[in-house]
Amino acid sequence: MTAQSQPPGTAQRGEWVLLSYRMPREPSTPRIAVWRKLKRLGVAQLSDGLVALPADARTREQLEWIADEAIEAGGAASIWLARPTAFAQERELAAGMAEARAAEYRAVIDQADQAADGTNTAAAVRKLRAELRRIGRRDFFPPPERALAHAAVRALAEQTESPQEEKA
Amino acid sequence: MKWATRAGIHIDRAACAWLIRRHVDKEAEFVFVTDPAQVPEGATPFDMRGVELGHHGGDCSFETILRRYELTDPVLWKLAEIVHEADLDDERYDAPEAPGLDVALRGLSMICDDERILELTGPLFDGLYEYHRRATLIGRDPA
Repeated sequence: MTAQSQPPGTAQRGEWVLLSYRMPREPSTPRIAVWRKLKRLGVAQLSDGLVALPADARTREQLEWIADEAIEAGGAASIWLARPTAFAQERELAAGMAEARAAEYRAVIDQADQAADGTNTAAAVRKLRAELRRIGRRDFFPPPERALAHAAVRALAEQTESPQEEKA
Repeated sequence: MKWATRAGIHIDRAACAWLIRRHVDKEAEFVFVTDPAQVPEGATPFDMRGVELGHHGGDCSFETILRRYELTDPVLWKLAEIVHEADLDDERYDAPEAPGLDVALRGLSMICDDERILELTGPLFDGLYEYHRRATLIGRDPA
């Protein structure tokens, strides 16, 4: 059972994979590379140098490789499987992650709205679809904005296919 | 020779196993383990944490094996781009095949064991190799 299949607030507490890591401040390139990868994965930042994802085979592997990367760069890292002791704690974590994704989806909706008035909607559709895929991969607790953002990009795609109807 | 990797294989391990069998060790035998401590004596581990044939410097294990065994065939490096993106999805390369391959492999892992995935993906990677070999020869997408 992965936390991924449970909406926040359900009775079953999920399992989380935690990465605890520390890296030298300099050189900053490997530290920034790790930070970018963690952002891309959509981790919840529990505290300085401690991040979490709902545990499944994939998220665990992703964090394990990043742990090795931190170690190869002269840092220290360890991977843990954990369960929050209180439901409220997990809800808060999930809600924070959902809100982070919601903000990303809202940005997509804004860009779709702006693109609808522009001339090159086809390029905007390609870009926003790629962005939706990227967000989707790190969306463990889908917020309502997810469906809205997908609908906004779909509408833009339909407008691209039939521009005459749009003007009517 | 014996080769060991983590059980529950996905794109990188399936591709590495194909690469090893085709270009490194024709007699390769694969063992799937759930813990690094279970790697049998004398087996070469790959795509596992802390081993030589793992992820290094932003490369996936497939790329690491290409480097380690000095395989310079440009078609293999083309496949490496696809495997890298399917596995790491960090947009280092433009590999439009990657998301589809990733989903196909994830689906297979839901209905097959690791041995069976290797059986099924062998011809798949052979075909991908042939496609990109022809593409390299004629300098455009083959029919």
